[in-house]
Formats: sequence, structure tokens, C-alpha cells
Amino acid sequence: MGKKHTWKRTTAAVMMLGLMTSAAGCSQSAAGKAEETVKQAIEAGKVESTEKDSVIVTMPVTSEPEAGFDPAYGWGAGEHTHEPLIQSTLTTTTTDLKIGKDLATDYSVSEDGLKWTITIRDDVEFTDGKPLTAEDVAFTYNHCRDNSTVSDFTMLKEAVAVNETTVEFHMNHPYSIWPYTMAVVGIVPKHAYDENYGQHPIGSGRYVLKQWDKGQQVIFEANPDYYEEMPEMKKVTVLFMEEDAALAAAMAGVVDVAHTAASYSEQQIDGYGLTAVQTVDNRGFNLPVGEVREKDGITYGNVFTADINVRRAINIGIDREEIIENVLNGYGTPAYSVCDKMPWYHEACEVEYDPGEAVRLLEEAGWREGKDGIRKKQGVRAGFTLMFSSGDSVRQALAEETANQLQEIGIEVKTEGVGWDVAYDRAQSEPLLWGWGAHTPMELYNIYHTAENGNGIGEARYSPYVNETADAYMDEALAASSLEEAYELWKKAQWDGSTGITQDGDIPWIWLCNIEHLYFVRDGLMIGEQKIHPHGHGWSLINNVDLWSWK
Amino acid sequence: MREKNNRRQRVLAGLIFSVIFLAVVCIGGILCKQEAAATDFSRKNLAPCTEYLFGTDWLGRDMFARTLRGLSVSILLGMVSAAVSAAAAFVLGVISAAMGRTADSAVSFCIDWVMGIPHILLLILISVALGKGFRGVAAGVALTHWPSLARVIRAEMIQLKESPYIQIAEKLGKRKGYLIRKHMLPHLMPQFFVGLVLLFPHAILHESSVTFLGFGLSSEQPAIGIILSESMRYLVTGQWWLAAFPGAMLVLVVILFYEIGENLRKLLSPGSAHE
Repeated sequence: MGKKHTWKRTTAAVMMLGLMTSAAGCSQSAAGKAEETVKQAIEAGKVESTEKDSVIVTMPVTSEPEAGFDPAYGWGAGEHTHEPLIQSTLTTTTTDLKIGKDLATDYSVSEDGLKWTITIRDDVEFTDGKPLTAEDVAFTYNHCRDNSTVSDFTMLKEAVAVNETTVEFHMNHPYSIWPYTMAVVGIVPKHAYDENYGQHPIGSGRYVLKQWDKGQQVIFEANPDYYEEMPEMKKVTVLFMEEDAALAAAMAGVVDVAHTAASYSEQQIDGYGLTAVQTVDNRGFNLPVGEVREKDGITYGNVFTADINVRRAINIGIDREEIIENVLNGYGTPAYSVCDKMPWYHEACEVEYDPGEAVRLLEEAGWREGKDGIRKKQGVRAGFTLMFSSGDSVRQALAEETANQLQEIGIEVKTEGVGWDVAYDRAQSEPLLWGWGAHTPMELYNIYHTAENGNGIGEARYSPYVNETADAYMDEALAASSLEEAYELWKKAQWDGSTGITQDGDIPWIWLCNIEHLYFVRDGLMIGEQKIHPHGHGWSLINNVDLWSWK
Repeated sequence: MREKNNRRQRVLAGLIFSVIFLAVVCIGGILCKQEAAATDFSRKNLAPCTEYLFGTDWLGRDMFARTLRGLSVSILLGMVSAAVSAAAAFVLGVISAAMGRTADSAVSFCIDWVMGIPHILLLILISVALGKGFRGVAAGVALTHWPSLARVIRAEMIQLKESPYIQIAEKLGKRKGYLIRKHMLPHLMPQFFVGLVLLFPHAILHESSVTFLGFGLSSEQPAIGIILSESMRYLVTGQWWLAAFPGAMLVLVVILFYEIGENLRKLLSPGSAHE
């Protein structure tokens, strides 16, 4: 029997060791896998990190395009917009996020906003040698309209090629920000497009896809027949790995750029410097507006956040600078809207941290401090559950810090990690920490505009809210005849002097910060002037990889 | 004679020490509920020191409080699921042995069936189906851990049924209920209690594993599985204390439970010492 006892004890110890090493093992294996990837690449002679015209970049695993490099299924034009590199686009966004031109030589819109006419260059060829014509453009857009699962093309009725170099877009309703859509949709060849296009893309862009090892890496090579200036970087290798593996890869010196997070920003790596890129990759949370009601098993509204004074008090009761210092080690900027720094941002969104005023607002609204420091009004405790997506350490930290700060003005915030499977429905009645930020004003529309099929009760899609005046401005903005005019209307939708979504308005969302995207960049590598990055810590970095250089 | 006493005292001492230690962990965990969840960014990423014995994490949470709280949650969960498992095992074992061949083969089939599916897989399935969280894990662990104990009880019962004193009692005209209650259950108790205690470490380890894999408790809760999976991200930056102390504590708790189980066995059925 004695033997049996020892055996049992040993089993327990072994099981535990197994659990612990599996914990340690996972990160090691992630790092190990990354190293292996790089080693394989070096052995195969494909990667020479000493070469002066090639670069190796890491990206999060989630950046790998699941459906391949097909614009219809999210490449470039998906949730995280970026330049498609392999394909050309009609327009581009400039570094100040205005509109530039790529294939288009000119574009115009009819008086009623229902017809866009675009003329394109006649000297562009796909990498298979066939010319790119208006036919291809029309095909791409009609195909995206019918098949895109990730982007909204409902405003497009039909794209028509009038002649070799002119294409017309007929719209269902006016859509003044169409140039922003044109900046992310890569043009695919009609003659070489089939269901496998995403795996073997042919385009006319700066780079061609040389190799794709799924789950590991993508290798791009410069397109020798590119119609503009040849890219300086002849070869771009993208490795997909987690942040800890990327850090390990940089420490081992096998990558040139490693993406990283604020929690690793204090690490010192020889031969690398930390580069922070400005973003509109914001984090904020929704405050459901309106009384509590129920429909189809989903609860809408929240008894505490229904009070406008509560929402205003929360907005000025949060010290954003403190959050950035604590959670992001200083690598962030305060956010006051979903579109900070964009041409359509209204300065009226900005507020000062003022806990005294926040307390005054709460007192005035009848929320009196109880014995335990938490406010109460007619038996209702001042508080809510702030949800964050499980496993996202930054969002968790933001939620905790928000809870700590609101505690000081007498609001009790509980935090809870949830999966995305339940988060959307629960967010209709409880605040959820979101990440947004895109190079298009449609973001405002998606968050604040009422949508018939949006959230089930005909209010704004992600959090119950209705403001008919703001809706009207946004509709008007979409119908505007010029972008400049539209920018003004988008601003008015935020605040027109009497109503809107700012502190003096209804404030249905609280914005905390824009998270700077951090990279360890090898000394001597110049990564050019970066556009303000949108949400998503991936492809945006190499939007301008053709202009990168080694010193 | 003296030596025998010493051994008995040693066993008793070991038992008492283990029980007290686990009770302290449990009570400590219950008392530091607030402290375990409190975040304070002014003290983040601290290495172990006198003020924070196990260091702090990236949210400035005290890892000592978190570990205690996590272990007490694990032990509580182990208690719930071990009790349910043991009750199920007991009932099934008795049914199997006392109610004839058909009942026996039905129960045996169930036992083989559940044992045939990998533990962790079944656990994850049940936990996810019930929406994860404490409820999911508790149900998962409870519903997967009864077969081994049920099998032991069943075997013991069958053996008992054939033993002379039961046979004689039966011949004397005693009813089945009386036999089970008066003659069989007292004999089974030691086996049962030891089995019950030995379920704990399994339950705790499985709870941690399932939570570690992301199918268990939610990520704001201080559970050992959560602590270990979060610590992975920071191992590369040299924050070893995030994984080492909670991991070691988990091993210690598991070993102590085995110790209790074994010591209990030695005390309840001294005969087994000669085996």
C-alpha cells in the first residue's frame, strides 16, 4: 500500500508540473514557433535581414486575412481598413486623412449625389500583363456589392464602365464620403478572378504576393512594372505572432519591426528603438440611454445611465491623463470622440476633468452619498457593470482604472470579462468597453445614427440612443455635394450649438483614450511618415512600406 | 507498542496540520475578497517583497491575496463538485450492487461510458454548454468525477454481498434495506470518505486546467487558472513571480489533500497498513 501512496503523490505532483509547464510552455512554444519560422526563412535564403532593401515585420496573429487577399472578403476594406498593397485603389487617403488619387485621374459627383463619374489612368497593367480598364473597376465594385460580408455597399446600385477609362457609380442614395470607400477597395482583374483569388491574388499595386505560409508568414516582393515610382523596399516579410513572441523575436534580433504593447514598453532591446505611432484606435464605453425595456429577450436601457446628469458626471469625472499614465505607460492620447484628429472632428467634444462639477451634477440629480460612499436615489444604487472582452489585458486594465476613478465620485463599477458571443446583446443594457476608429466618418453614423434593423428597437445599433437632429445632420452630410461641406455637417451632428452627442448634449458614449501603436524598430530603419492609424494593430503600419529605407 | 503509537500520532499530526493549513487558506481567501480584486496602478509589477509577499501584477493587484482567493475558490468548487460526485457515486454503487444484474450492467455501462470520454474534453463541453462561469465548471467537474469512486463502491458492495455474515443475515430473513443500512453502509464508510477526500485534488486540478484554457471562470475573477494563463504573457519580461508562487501553492494544496486522504485511510482502516 505504501507504494501506492507514493505513486498517487507522485501523480499529483506530475500533474501539477504538467499544468505549470504547459503554462510556461505555451509562451515558449509561441516564441519558439516564431523563431522557427524566421530560421526556416533564413535557411531557405529568402530572408537576408542584412540586405538593405528588405524588411521583416511582425503582426498580431489576428491580422492574417482569413479569406485571403480578396477585397470582397475583408482585405483592406474590412473591419480594419488599410491600403491593400497588392491591388491599386481609385483614391487614397493622405497623411492628414484628406483624399488623394491613385488610379483615378479625376472624379466628380452629380448635383443630386446619385452618380459618381471617375476617369482612370490608361497606363496601368496587372502583373499578368493585361491592362487595367474601367471594366475591371466596375466588376470589382459590383462583385463587392453582391458578396462583401464585411463592408457596407448597400448605397451602391451599380457600377458601369462607360468606356476604357471612365466608370460611373449609380447610387441608391447620396453618399458624399464615397471617396473614402474608394480608398480601400482594391481593384481586381475581371479576367483572372475566381473563388480562389484570395489565395493567389493578381493586382496592379506596389507589391506582389510571393509566398504565403498560412499561420506563419507572408512575403511580398516589389512589383517591377509598377506605374509610379518603384518601391525602395524590394521585399517585405510579414510574420504573424503574439506580442510576447514578437518581443522574443526582437530580443533574438531576427525581425526588423516587432509590434508590441504598452506593458512591454519598458523593455530595452539592444539595436532597437521604441516607436509610437499616433492613432484614432480609441477605447471607450457606451452608456445606454432611455428607460429599461425589453423586447425579444433582450433588455434595453439602464436605470442608472438613463439619467443625463449621470452620463455628464461620468464624462468629466474621469481623468483621462491618469488613465493613459497608469494603463498605457503614457503611450496614448485622451479621446473625446470616436474621431479625434480627423477632419470631421468637432472640438466641442473635448472636456476638462472636473470631479467637483461631477459631484455637483450627481447631487443636483438627487444621487446622495450613502454610508458606504456609494450614491443612492430612491433605493437605486449608483453603479453599473462595465464589461470588457475576456483576454484583452488593455481593456481589462482600462475597465479597472475607470472603476477606481468613478468610485471616488460615489459610483460603484463592477468589471466583468465577457465573450463577443454575448457582449453585443448585453451592451444594450450595460456599458461595454469598445475599440473603434476608422478613416471614414461612417463610424459616427454607425454609432450614433438610428438604424431600422440596428438594435432591434429601431435605435442606434450598438447602444440604445435616438437623436433626430443629429440623424438629420448625418443624412444631410451623406447627401452633401462636396467633402468640405460634408465635414461641416458631420461636425454639426456632434454639436450644433444646442444638441448633439457632446458633454452639453446627450453624451451617450464616453471616450477614454486613443492607444498609440507601439513598435520596436531596428536602428537605422526609417518607417516614413505614418498616417494616423485606425483601429487594429496590424497592416496600417506598412501602408507606406514602399517608402521605408535603411540608413 | 510505543512505536505504533508514535506512528499513529504522526499520522494524526499530519492530518491535523493539513486540515488547519487548508482551512487557513480557505478562510484567508474568504476574508480577502476585496483585496484580491482591488487594483492600484501605483504599485504595479512589483517583485516579491515584505509588503507584497507574492509581488503584484500589471494591474497592481496583490498576488498573495489573489492566490489565496483563487485557492479558496478552487477549494470551494472542489467541495461542491466532490460532494455531488461522491453522492452520485454512492447511490449508483449501491444501486448497482443491491438491485440485481440488470441494474448492475446499466450502471457499469454508464461508468465505462463516462470513463471512455477524456475527462477534460467532457468537462469543457459541459462547462461551455452551461455558459461557463462558476456554475459551468462546478457542473462539469461534478458530472465527470463520479465514475472512479462509483466503481470502487460497487466492487466493495459485490464483495460484501458474498461475505459470510451477510449471507447468514440474509438466511435469517432480514430484508435487503435492513442489510444495506445495518451491515453494508458502516463497512463502506471508510472507503467512501477516503474516496471523497481524494476527489478534491482532481477537482481542483481540473478546475484550474479548464479555467486556464479559457472555458471556465471569467477573467476578472481571481482563479488559479486565470492567474497562470495571464502570467504567461509576462514570463518573457522576467516576471517569474506571477506564475511561480500561485503554481507552487496549487501543488501544495493538492499534495495536502492527498495527505489528508491517505492519513484518513490509515486511521479509518488500520488493517490497510499491513497490506
